[in-house]
Amino acid sequence: MAKLIKIRELDLDIPKEAQRIAERMLTDLEKSRRPVLEAVKTSLDNSFYDPKVGYLTPGDKTVKTELNVSSVQKLARVVFMLEIILRNLDIGSVNTKRELYYICKGLIRSETKLRPLDFEGQDESDAIIDFIGDMLRVYREELNCFANDRGGQTYSQQLVVYETMPDGEKATIDLSSLGTSPFMPKNKPQSLKLKAKKKIDFCLVIESEGTAGTLHAMGFTKRNNCILMGAQGVPSNAVRGWCKLIEDELAVPMYFFGDLDAYTLQNIFRTLKAGSAASLIRNADFSAPDVKFLGVLPEDVKRYDLPHYNVKESDPVEARALKKAKDALENDPFFLDRKNKGLADILKWLLSEKIRCEQQSFFSVDARDPIIMEKLILEKIRNKSYV
Amino acid sequence: MSKITKSSTAEYFAKNLQQVGFSSPLKAVLTTLKEAVDNALDACEAENILPEIYVEIKKVGTGSSKNTDLIKIIVEDNGPGIEPDDLAKVFGEYLASSKFGKGQCSRGQQGIGISAATTWAQLTNAKGAIVKTKTKGMRKAIQGQVDVDIKSNTGILKNKEAVDWDKPHGVRVEFDIDGRIQMNGDGGLITYLEGTVLVNPHLDLHHKLLDQEWVHVARVSQTIPEIPESTLPHPHTFKLGEFITHSTLYGKTSLDKFLKTGFSRVSDQSLKDFVVKGLPKGLLAKSVSGLSEVDFKKVFQSVQDTELMPPSTKSVLTVGEESLSKSIQRLGKIDFFSVMTRKPTICDFKPVVVEVALARFVDRNLALDEPVQLLRFANRVPLQFDKSGCAITWAIESVNWKNYGLQQPKGSLPNGPYVFAISVTSPFIKFKNASKETIDASEELVEEIRRALMQAGQKLSRHIKKEFKEADLERKLAHISQFGPILVEVLVRITKSGPERRKKAEEGLRKLLGQDSEEAKASLEEAETKLSAQKSRQAKKEGRSEESSEVQGALQSPIQSEESRESVVTDADEKTEAHSKGGQKISKKLTPPRVAAKSLPTKKPIKKTTTKKAK
Repeated sequence: MAKLIKIRELDLDIPKEAQRIAERMLTDLEKSRRPVLEAVKTSLDNSFYDPKVGYLTPGDKTVKTELNVSSVQKLARVVFMLEIILRNLDIGSVNTKRELYYICKGLIRSETKLRPLDFEGQDESDAIIDFIGDMLRVYREELNCFANDRGGQTYSQQLVVYETMPDGEKATIDLSSLGTSPFMPKNKPQSLKLKAKKKIDFCLVIESEGTAGTLHAMGFTKRNNCILMGAQGVPSNAVRGWCKLIEDELAVPMYFFGDLDAYTLQNIFRTLKAGSAASLIRNADFSAPDVKFLGVLPEDVKRYDLPHYNVKESDPVEARALKKAKDALENDPFFLDRKNKGLADILKWLLSEKIRCEQQSFFSVDARDPIIMEKLILEKIRNKSYV
Repeated sequence: MSKITKSSTAEYFAKNLQQVGFSSPLKAVLTTLKEAVDNALDACEAENILPEIYVEIKKVGTGSSKNTDLIKIIVEDNGPGIEPDDLAKVFGEYLASSKFGKGQCSRGQQGIGISAATTWAQLTNAKGAIVKTKTKGMRKAIQGQVDVDIKSNTGILKNKEAVDWDKPHGVRVEFDIDGRIQMNGDGGLITYLEGTVLVNPHLDLHHKLLDQEWVHVARVSQTIPEIPESTLPHPHTFKLGEFITHSTLYGKTSLDKFLKTGFSRVSDQSLKDFVVKGLPKGLLAKSVSGLSEVDFKKVFQSVQDTELMPPSTKSVLTVGEESLSKSIQRLGKIDFFSVMTRKPTICDFKPVVVEVALARFVDRNLALDEPVQLLRFANRVPLQFDKSGCAITWAIESVNWKNYGLQQPKGSLPNGPYVFAISVTSPFIKFKNASKETIDASEELVEEIRRALMQAGQKLSRHIKKEFKEADLERKLAHISQFGPILVEVLVRITKSGPERRKKAEEGLRKLLGQDSEEAKASLEEAETKLSAQKSRQAKKEGRSEESSEVQGALQSPIQSEESRESVVTDADEKTEAHSKGGQKISKKLTPPRVAAKSLPTKKPIKKTTTKKAK
């Protein structure tokens, strides 16, 4: 089997490092010492943002897990999954997180003595995989573990994608030949190369994948030399890596268009632009620092008289989003940075006005014009009405 | 213009029976039973007799009203009996009471309840109460039917006859009424009987409900509660109208004498203080019958403006922590319980005493995520309806039960398999309605109940904390045995090590985790020490030996038939090692023996006599 294409240059030999850790743990146990596993602390208080770098990077803080009666379960799960990952690395096999969850489940349930390790849900096994990545300071993808493909449906008349398949074969995908079907970026951006048949003016990432599909169906990509993409909510690793690849290889202006609410701004847009605290280790290759927030902007609400409504503070989800927004303004280095003052101002405005406006409200500006949203988006890009 | 007519009291109540607890067929059965039992208990206590009461309830046909059954309710007591001449008055005349306005903590107060029950029987089944009575001096009992003459508010005794009765004295009353029966739940008959049993430890109760067997709940106290002497009302509890009406009882008495003898806490000094506060001195010597309304207003206002000593708390009575502790075990198998009797205090210028019993039961099918079962009492009478507006419910909801280890949805009753019994006793309980189902929630009273609950909660939390520690230890021990070997085995595989390293690592791991479990054990021991210190304090307070305070099991459920009670006894014997864990699981296998030994249920002798009621 052909060797997997590397996602980045890595000095670390993962199997050797894992063996070293296991050896240290075993020696500690032999000497009745408590083994300790140390991982990067993946939280906002250990996140740093430098606008020149463009994404959140980890600080020096670490989380230490020392063996005791409370942590013995976690440590047993860590070494159990590490063994499976090491086997995958050895034979060059890849699995999704979900596959690993079911592989573990099968092994655990088929052997009585392993039963105590059983996971109640995939979130538990995902957390162990993340911990292993943070402990070794490597990408999950470098452990041959990939998330399920989700989001990133892409439409373009100019874009051509060259894919190197796992068996070494090459594939060429001309997006203009796909009709109304989108191209789905894979979870392995390192295996893709991009080419523009003609100059591409911009890349537009729409929060709602359905709205991206609608714009394409109404001829957006025919009338514009562009890449049109649906993010499908919080961008997955695939979407983030794909956007990064477009930025790196094509250097086209990238705009994000989504709802005007606290959740979109801090959970969706910030993650796309600068990564997240949970993925501090891999933000470098999974964020698109040059993406601009095209809207919906507070000024659009007034300018286009967009339908909007009040945030229901009694709704626990909304209340949590507002509280998170307040926290973000106080603690998130991304929003605290002067470079992102414009974005922080939108958050402040949302907190004080307590309203929200959906991206689809653009359709209502002129109900008789089927391409009104396209017109307004182009107008905004032309007028540099973005943050 | 329409003619103004005057109605008798009986006429009023006959038209408004819903106001006194007869608002539905279901409530009618419960209220009738309640009134009869209250009267029986009050009569026994008044004559210093240990009460032995028989209750029988059965369906005897279809009711005359829609969707009702004809229900027969029989209550028989060993009280002093009623003089035959008084029978008609007691059962057939409204407001004929020996307790009205006495200011005592008796169950009955106005003399409305039992006459209302007779009226209900008469209205729904055209037949009043069938009563049999025998006093100490009588050779034969007198039996007859009492009806209410609604027009004149007088009782009529019909079909009077002398009959043989092998009882030295007592009363037997029988009602046939339209009603419906609910056994369990807030308004259930069983809930009522359990409540009555709980706050009357001296009661010996035999009951037969529908097709069930006779059940005997033996008394756990030989002490008859002494009803304290009544005290005079405190003037600050009066309104102007009441004040004037009260004065009419004193005829031509002078004002100063009326104030001093008609109320408590009014002294010669108080009279001087009234004058300072605006009472015209000249009025003091005047007869109250000669005072004008304006004069009364001046007197009343000066009295209200003057600071007086709060009323005496001597007129309230308590069940007591010891009796409550014994009595609560008559309700079922108990894991643990906590009782608290507060000192009598003054709320809203009325003497009040609050008692609380919190218990966790193992055999009552109470769900973990359902609200606790609440038993409310006012003057030792269970309150079973409209709990949401009651001072007791408000007080429970105002406590943060999470502090004591219980789950509690915000602003609600806590959840879990617990029974919360709260008793408020006072000669002047302010009810929200005439049917006496809800205690008015004044701020002071709610606070007093809340304090009692918090004290009881603290005691309870010692038990719960001990359980948490036990569960913690159990979990830690389980972790060691479950995850340790996996950890070592996988590490050995990854490092490709041999069996010797494996053995050494296993030994090292055992040593490390053993230290942790020792810490957990120490923590459990600390919790146990605190709990036993609490038990010792309690035992010392009640003058008992420490062992007797360490009750973990229960006697028997009064609601069970004889056979099922036997099975409970067997369970108690078999489960000497089993006790509850944090997750409410009973686990014999995982409990360290040292812990189990501490919580052996103390077995109590169980009286297993099936009562065969002679018919």
